[in-house]
This record gives sequence, C-alpha cells and structure tokens, in this order.
Amino acid sequence: MTSVVLEGYGLTKRFGPATALAGVGLAIGRGEAVAIMGPSGSGKSTLLHCLAGIMKPDEGEVRLLGQRVDTMGERERSALRRTRFGFVFQFGQLLPELPADENVALPLMLGGVSRRDAVRRAREWFGPLGLGGMEERRPGELSGGQAQRVAIARALVTRPAVVFADEPTGALDQTTGHDTMRLLVEATRGGDASLVVVTHDPQVARWCDRTVEVRDGRIMTGVGA
Amino acid sequence: MRAALGLGWRLLRAGGRKGLLGAALTALAVTVSTALLLFAVSANLAFEGRGDREAWRNPVPAQGRAVAVQSVRVDYVRDERITVVELAALEPGAPPPPGLDRFPAPGEVWLSPALAELARRLPADQLAGRFAGGRGGTVGDEALVHPGELVAVRGWAPDSPVLAGKGTDEPRGEVAPTRISDFTGEPTPDAQGYRILALIASVLMAVPLLVFGGAAARLTVARRDQRLAALRLVGATPGQVVAMTAAEAVITAFAGAVAGTLLYVLLIPPLTGIEIAGGSWFAADLWPGVPYTLAVLAAVPLLVGLSAVVGLRRVVVGPLGVAKRETPPGMRFVRVAVLLAVLAVVPTLSVGSGGGMIAVVLGLAFLSINLAGPWVVGLIGRITAGTARGPARLLAGRRLVDDPRAAWRTVSGVALTGFVAGFVVLLNPSADLLGEADASRLRLSVPAARADAVAAGARERLTAAGVRAGTEITGEGGEKVLVVALGGGRAAAPGKSGKGEKADTPVDALVDAPVDARVDAALVDRARTALDGLVPGRRATSTADDDRFGHVLIGDIGTGTIVVLTVSFLVAVVSAGITAVSSVLDRRQTYALLRLAGTPLQVLDRARRAETLIPLAVMGGGSIAVGLFCALPFAITGLDAGGLATLLACVLLGFAGVVGAGAASAPVLRSVTENPAPRPD
Ligand SMILES: Nc1ncnc2c1ncn2[C@@H]1O[C@H](COP(=O)(O)OP(=O)(O)OP(=O)(O)O)[C@@H](O)[C@H]1O
Ligand SMILES: [Mg+2]
Repeated sequence: MTSVVLEGYGLTKRFGPATALAGVGLAIGRGEAVAIMGPSGSGKSTLLHCLAGIMKPDEGEVRLLGQRVDTMGERERSALRRTRFGFVFQFGQLLPELPADENVALPLMLGGVSRRDAVRRAREWFGPLGLGGMEERRPGELSGGQAQRVAIARALVTRPAVVFADEPTGALDQTTGHDTMRLLVEATRGGDASLVVVTHDPQVARWCDRTVEVRDGRIMTGVGA
Repeated sequence: MRAALGLGWRLLRAGGRKGLLGAALTALAVTVSTALLLFAVSANLAFEGRGDREAWRNPVPAQGRAVAVQSVRVDYVRDERITVVELAALEPGAPPPPGLDRFPAPGEVWLSPALAELARRLPADQLAGRFAGGRGGTVGDEALVHPGELVAVRGWAPDSPVLAGKGTDEPRGEVAPTRISDFTGEPTPDAQGYRILALIASVLMAVPLLVFGGAAARLTVARRDQRLAALRLVGATPGQVVAMTAAEAVITAFAGAVAGTLLYVLLIPPLTGIEIAGGSWFAADLWPGVPYTLAVLAAVPLLVGLSAVVGLRRVVVGPLGVAKRETPPGMRFVRVAVLLAVLAVVPTLSVGSGGGMIAVVLGLAFLSINLAGPWVVGLIGRITAGTARGPARLLAGRRLVDDPRAAWRTVSGVALTGFVAGFVVLLNPSADLLGEADASRLRLSVPAARADAVAAGARERLTAAGVRAGTEITGEGGEKVLVVALGGGRAAAPGKSGKGEKADTPVDALVDAPVDARVDAALVDRARTALDGLVPGRRATSTADDDRFGHVLIGDIGTGTIVVLTVSFLVAVVSAGITAVSSVLDRRQTYALLRLAGTPLQVLDRARRAETLIPLAVMGGGSIAVGLFCALPFAITGLDAGGLATLLACVLLGFAGVVGAGAASAPVLRSVTENPAPRPD
C-alpha cells in the first residue's frame, strides 16, 4: 500500500436502537480502488457516508490526508465534498433540465470556474468516456449507462482525491454495468484518484484492488492487495 | 366509477407523508379558491339583494286602479342621506309597504333603526323636529338597503299638499308623487350601476381563481406523474389511469371545497363591515344561499378533476411519455398572437360599450395573458440561461426553459394581479374631481307666487331657532329658489359663537359671503330642521349635499379596488407559496443528491429564488402595462399621485408576498436535502 489518503478508525453509527456501524476501521491508499461488499442492511452505505463526510459518526475518527473530517461543521464538510471528493450514485443525480455538458460543468462552476472554462473542461471528459456527440443531450435523452458515464465525468471533473460510488451500476444490466464499472475504475486511476465503491456484484469487485466485506456493521475480511 | 373512487382513495392514503403533504397543499389551494369564489358569487347576489330591497322606493306608475300615492324625497343630516318616503292610501285596503306591518295612517312616522337612534342622539332641533308626529313603528330590515340606512316613512292624507306636486325636474334619488297599485317598484339606475361594477369586480377576482384552481389540479398530477407512468408501465389502461387520477383529484378538491365553504362562512362577519354605497351589509346578504353553495361545492371538484385529466394527457399518451425526460417542444408563438389579437380589440371599446362587453373583453385579456405567460417565461429562461455566469442563474434559466408552465404557475397570480392593479388605477377617480362644494347655502325651491311669503316664513323660523342667516330669492319663471346663507352660531351669543368671521357679518351680507365648505354641521342641521315643512314636499339642500353621491361613489370605487386587489394578492401569494413548495417536493431526490455532492444550500436556494423572481419582475411589469392599456378607453383621469402610489404599493406587496411565500419553501428544501440517503419514492 502506498501513502494513505483517507482513513477511518473505530467508526460507530447508531440509528436509535439499531447499530449500523460497530467500530469499523478502514484505510484507503492513494490511487487505490476499494470495493465494499456485504448483505443488504449490513451498513455499507452508512460506512461510505461516514467516510465521505456526509454523516458524522457517533464515535471514531475520519481523516483525509491526516486532517480530521468528522469534527468539521456542515459547511466545511460540504466544501470538502465539493472540492476533494466525487460522487456517483445509483441514479437521479443529474439535473434533468441541464444538458449533459453543463451537468458535468456544474461542480467546476460551483468552485468559481468561469462558465466557458467549466464547459470546455467538462467536454474533455466526453471522448474518453465514450460520450462523444452527447454533450448537448439532456439526461432524459441518454440511456442509463450513458447517464452513469456522465455522472462519472461529473465526479471526476474537479480532480478529486477520492471518488465515492454507491451501487453505481445497480440500475443497469450486467453487460452495461461491467462496461461502466471498468470505465469508472480506469478513469479514477487515470485521474490519480482513489475509489470507494459499494457493490453487490463480485465481478465488479474484481476490477478493484481490494474488497472489504461488511456484515452487521463490522468488517469481516480484507482480501487482495 | 366506484372502483376508481376506491382506488383513488387508497392511492391518496398510501402516498406517504410527502404525498400527503402534496395533497394537503392542493386541498389548501382549493380551500382558498372556494372561499374566494363564494365571495365573488355572494358579492353579486348581495348587490342584487340591495337592489331588490330598494326597489319599492322606486315606484312604477299604476297601470290599473291605484291604491296609494307615493313620493320619495332626499334629506340630509350631518354627512348622511335620509330617504323619506311619503305615502297616502287612496283606499282602505292599501297593502302595507315592505318593512312596515301596516299602511301608515296620516300623521304617522316610521323610522329605520339607525335613523331612530340618530334622532334620539342628536338634539331635537337638529333632526327629531323634522319627524314630529305619531311614531308608527320601526322600518324592518327587508326594506333597507343596508343596516345603517336612514329611512323615514310618513303617512299623509291623500289631499295633503306634500303629495300634490307634479315636479318635473326631480333631484337625484327623488321621485315625484306617483299613483301606485303595489309596492313592487323596480331597481334604481344606481343599483343597476353598482351591479355592473360588482360584476366587473367579480370577473377580476374569479379569473385568477380559476387559473389558480387549475394550477392546483395540475400540481396533483405533477406529483403523480412518475407513479402513474409506472402504473402504465405495469399495464394499467389509459382509462383506469385517468379515472384514478381524476378520482384522487376530486376527493382532494372536495375536501378543500368543504373547508373553503366553512372558511367563507367564518369570514362573513368581518366581510359585512366593508362599506359600499354608504353602508355595511346584512350577514344574509353575503350568504349565497344553499343552491349556489351546493353548485360551487359541486363545480369546484369537477373543475379540478377536469383540469387534472387534461394535465394527465401526456402520461396517457404513452407509458414512456413522462418517465423519460426529454427536451420539451418549444411553446408556440400562437399564444402571444392571441394576446395581441385581444389587445387589438381593446381600443375599440369605450365607456358606452356596456358592462357585459367590458367584462367579456377583460376576461379574454386575462385568459390570453395566462396563455402568453408560459411562452414569455420560456423566452426569459433562454435569455437567463444564455447569459448566466454563475451556477445559480444557469440552473434557474434552464429550469425556466425546461418547464415554463410550472414557472408561470408560480408567478401567474401576481402577474394577473398586476393586470388588475394596472387596470383599476386608471379607473380610480380622485375626490379632487368634485372640488369643494358650498355647504353654507341651503336652497329651497318655491313656487314663484309664494316666494316672498316663504322667504318671510323662513326668516321667522330661523330666528326662532337661533340661526343667523341671510335670505335671497333667485331664479326665474314659475319656480324660484330661496337661498338661505348661514352665518355663525346663535345670534344671542356673539362672543361665544367662535364659528369664524361670519359670526360678525351682518345678516344681510351673508348671501354675498364666499363659498364655505366647512360650515358647522350642527348649525346646518338646525337650519334644515327649522325649514322642514316650510314648502310641502320640499327640503332645503346645499350643493355640498348634491355632491355627496359623487363622494360616496368615488369612495366605493376605492373600496372595490382594495377588495379586488386584496383578493388577487391572497390568491397570488398562496399560489406562489404552494407551487414553490411543490416544486421542491417534486425534485427532492435531485436536490438531496446535489447537496450530498457538496452543492451549497445557498446555491440551490438562490437558483430557486431566481427561478421565481426573474419571471416575476418581467411578467409583473408586463401585466401592469397590459392592464393600464386595457383601462385606457375607460380612463376617467390620468395616472395621478394616488393611483401611482396604489400601483407602487401593489408592486412592492406583490414582490414581498411572493418572496415571503417562497421563503416558506426554504425550510422544505432544507428538510428534503437533510436526509443523507435519499431514495426515489
Ligand atoms: N437514516 C436511517 N435511519 C434509520 N436507520 C437507518 C438509516 N440509514 C440506515 N439505517 C439502518 O442502518 C442499517 C445499515 O443501513 P445501510 O443503508 O448502511 O445498509 P446497506 O448495507 O447500504 O444496505 P443496502 O445494500 O440494502 O443498500 C440498516 O439496518 C438500516 O435500516
Ligand atoms: Mg446501501
């Protein structure tokens, strides 16, 4: 493992009486792709949300390049998510009224990049992701796989340190899902970013460097690199 | 239908908390619409009721055998008008007039409750002295225009000189002695004029209401789009989908309509306090009655259901119609062409075009603004998106282009209110039109032959009453006018009179004194009372009295304007709030995911605000201009300071209202984006 980018220690999260995470520790290396697997309800999404600064864990610490994330206020965490992280969700993350290129450019514009530069930089991602010619289509005019690739471009356009993906191919058929997944892993590697991906598909997990198995809020095994 | 109703009900209940919130918003919109619609209907009925209750004082000459003679005279006390009905029975079986339990015997006087009260309160030499004679009773409400109306009914012998005159040129509101066969009468021209004004006001109120109700209906559909498309995908027939949606909308709307009726009933007591034509209202005036209420209760849910079905067309056309979001086809320019066509008709109208015609053109102008609105909003959206530099404006612009109808729905209320405001400010005459009339000279018309005797009698009576006044006889021909110029207070106490410089003017010089609008009202009433009955059937009045009707009318137009604008603003603000909240609810998943990815809430909030304020500014301004344009043919005066202030207040209130209503959706936005793991539902 190379240098650690993001790490969590003793992460615990309770929802009322239910314990979603019961003391999880996990370190993500620079450029590393980690798959999180486990049965439904085991706490995968909760773990991802804690690592990504979406949720505050009840106990434990999260550090990005040594800096505490879990103690930051909502505003700081929000800025952190916008600038250092990228996100790909199952579906529904693209704004239906924006054309594809503007959807991708949005995070850059939020970061203060001028509209013209943002759109230009956004469009650079379309070719490599096999989206050439779809820049001006709206999400409703794209297939599910194409829409996910636009979402991947949007996650990567800010050159984040870590990309989080929660079942990014869950709504796609297997072939499309695998294609999309490979693109996601390759693009994050190419962008020198780490990847944390929650998935149910063992095939998908094979594209990653390492798989983490979550069960009842605990990490069971660490396989791979 | 029963199956559809059942399924609609189950869908409604299974909609979850957010779904229920949406249904509640629709119901709220319908509640407000229904209450205001009932108000618009009742306003017309109320004026009709006033006209009917007043009709007996506007007699129609008997065709066959006459049973009584009736004349109507107008007298004044303080700033108010007294209607005096003089009656004499021609035969024993004459029917009692409305509001009286028998025909008044000669010498008997019946007073309305308000007049009786005033006669008790004021010194007898100012009012009660005019109604000496046996008190017959109290005039009942069914014969009064409004609860505070001052009415006196007096009985005379058929040969009394009071009922003898033939008078050709009757003053406004007076009726010369007329032989009548019954007390049916007919509505006065004034009452009919008020009914036309009420009709125009209710068109101005009702059209935005209908638009608002339709928007509310489509709001239910918008939220259901996804689920209904899913139902279509699993194989529900178009008929079933339509029936279910219509049922759901109708159930929701019916609940809203019932609540709206209750709300209106609660509003009746405060509403009766609105003074029009010199008085407030009987509670019964503002209750539309069971048939009209039932009609509204049936019509509102039906209209909402119909609107929902129309809105559903897209879903029913194809199962993918809604599930797949595509670039919407552009709005056609025809929409604007219709507005231009209607506006082209406007200059051909004039004051003489008749109330019905004006109401129709107004309604059309209204509807075509509503038609052109989305097209203009789409255009604004393209411009906004094209020129946007930051993300918030870009989001707002693209959203306007994406669904101009939805954006229009948010601002349509205020835009239509802008139209109303623009229209009415030009029609609002100011009291300056009338100038200051003379209140210090009472005029009494007298037959030329008796002029000198009457003048002497007047001086005698005035002196006895302690009123300093000069007299003069003017006019020529058979009918002369005795002018009584009033001076200060009692002649006996010059030091204490304090009524200005006139107290020291010699009596004979008073007739040459300058016009005075602010003479002591008690003094005028003492003079009136002293002169009462001097010439049978005639009362002394001043030019200020003659102008009183004009002042009341101007005041009424102002009151009507405020009522119409208040209603429009209520509709506008409630509809802006409801559509803003529902638009957040509709897009809760996307908003939540954007927030997860680190989009600051302020950017979403700014986009949401720009999405409303940009079209609001353009459409509000445009509508005011169209309203002003439509009012031009009827304009009484140019836009004066008062009108400008009204307009400015409207603009400010409209903006503040919509911004405030939009602010109500900010907490909703916060709450839907707080859930860290949003799921489509
Ligand atoms: N907001 C919440 N409120 C209450 N309980 C929650 C909440 N979010 C998650 N949980 C609970 O925490 C546990 C872990 O949930 P989580 O979403 O992390 O599971 P998961 O592993 O992602 O499941 P899946 O594979 O089905 O997405 C579950 O028992 C779930 O019910
Ligand atoms: Mg999950």
